[in-house]
Amino acid sequence: MLCLMKGMLLKQVFALSRAATPRESHLCAAGGALVSCHRHYRSRPTHGIGRFKYLLPKEAPKKKKDKVQMKEIDVGTEHEYGDLNIQMTSYDMCLVEHFAQYVHRLCNQLSVRVKESYAMPTKTNEVLFLEERGSKMQLDAVLTTHQRVVQISGLSSTFAPILLEVIQSNQPEGVHLLVKEHTEADFKSRLKSRPELEELLAQMS
Amino acid sequence: LSSWLPQMVPFRGSHWQSSLLGLRASLLMRAQPKKKKKVDVKREQAQKDRMKKKIKKLEKAAPEMIPIEDFIAPLKYSDNSRVRSLPPLSFEETERRVLLMKKWCLFKQKQDKAEKQAIQTLVAAQQEALKELRLESEELYQAAIRRDEGLFPYEREGPSYSPPLPGYDPPEGKCVDITKVYTQ
Repeated sequence: MLCLMKGMLLKQVFALSRAATPRESHLCAAGGALVSCHRHYRSRPTHGIGRFKYLLPKEAPKKKKDKVQMKEIDVGTEHEYGDLNIQMTSYDMCLVEHFAQYVHRLCNQLSVRVKESYAMPTKTNEVLFLEERGSKMQLDAVLTTHQRVVQISGLSSTFAPILLEVIQSNQPEGVHLLVKEHTEADFKSRLKSRPELEELLAQMS
Repeated sequence: LSSWLPQMVPFRGSHWQSSLLGLRASLLMRAQPKKKKKVDVKREQAQKDRMKKKIKKLEKAAPEMIPIEDFIAPLKYSDNSRVRSLPPLSFEETERRVLLMKKWCLFKQKQDKAEKQAIQTLVAAQQEALKELRLESEELYQAAIRRDEGLFPYEREGPSYSPPLPGYDPPEGKCVDITKVYTQ
């Protein structure tokens, strides 16, 4: 850029010096830096040359890390249920995932509004059993319990039993189904515990 | 000491008391129990302020979600050195597979359509029943439309592969929860 500028400057200076008289030449040379700028005036045909941002697709605004906030819990009216959690639990992860996907798609097709579809943290259990001839506990297996939740809202009271019937009839073996209302406690169980904060709060009160 | 004039009455320690301003302070300084109370209150206040500051600082940090272990692939599976080499399939085998897949797709489509049809008939039958009920009595209709409070929570175990064995005696044992506890 600088060498371009310099080159431009030199050219300008030479042009001016050739055109003007020697008395004015040093004045033009002094104003050469101001004259040789790259602005394209609005009246010139070169106005707007080099613009390209308007041609690119609009990119989403840079999102800052969203604070994990609880969405408002819908209570529901007399004829509609509020936020309902369809919780599917099983030892088999693939099965429960596929079932959760099926339930989500079913709700989409039946135009039941799906608010959220998430996974609960995995629980691990060690199953120990007492040996027949002995007092020592033997490790039998390490089982992982997986849970998926599909949160729906605005289910009408007449359609609820039909939906439950359909979900039940397609329930695979080993998958435990639980449909309950969404509460704040359910949301809090997904967050990490803060023992220091709780300790300080207990000390304060 | 009803009429006590500070200037007139000389008290015991007056020889080292030069100004009247220091009078109150000196009396308090000498009485030991009063000193403890003041400093204690200050200290307690300072402690409380510090705790409040700490709580504010901790509360500022947004609560984090517990990471789901299901979605984090263990590192040993990211090793690309193990590659499966399958034998090439014969033409008949590929044809058989493709035809089988087509049959399966058709079967599933029919199943799905049948399910959707069943749902539609259920809804239609329900609507008709409600219409008839409305003609019968408005009160019952309104009661039927209302949501059922006793429906949720609704729990159901999945069907089992085989019925429970009669007279099965399970071994004694226990379950130990070894889930990793995440703290912020």
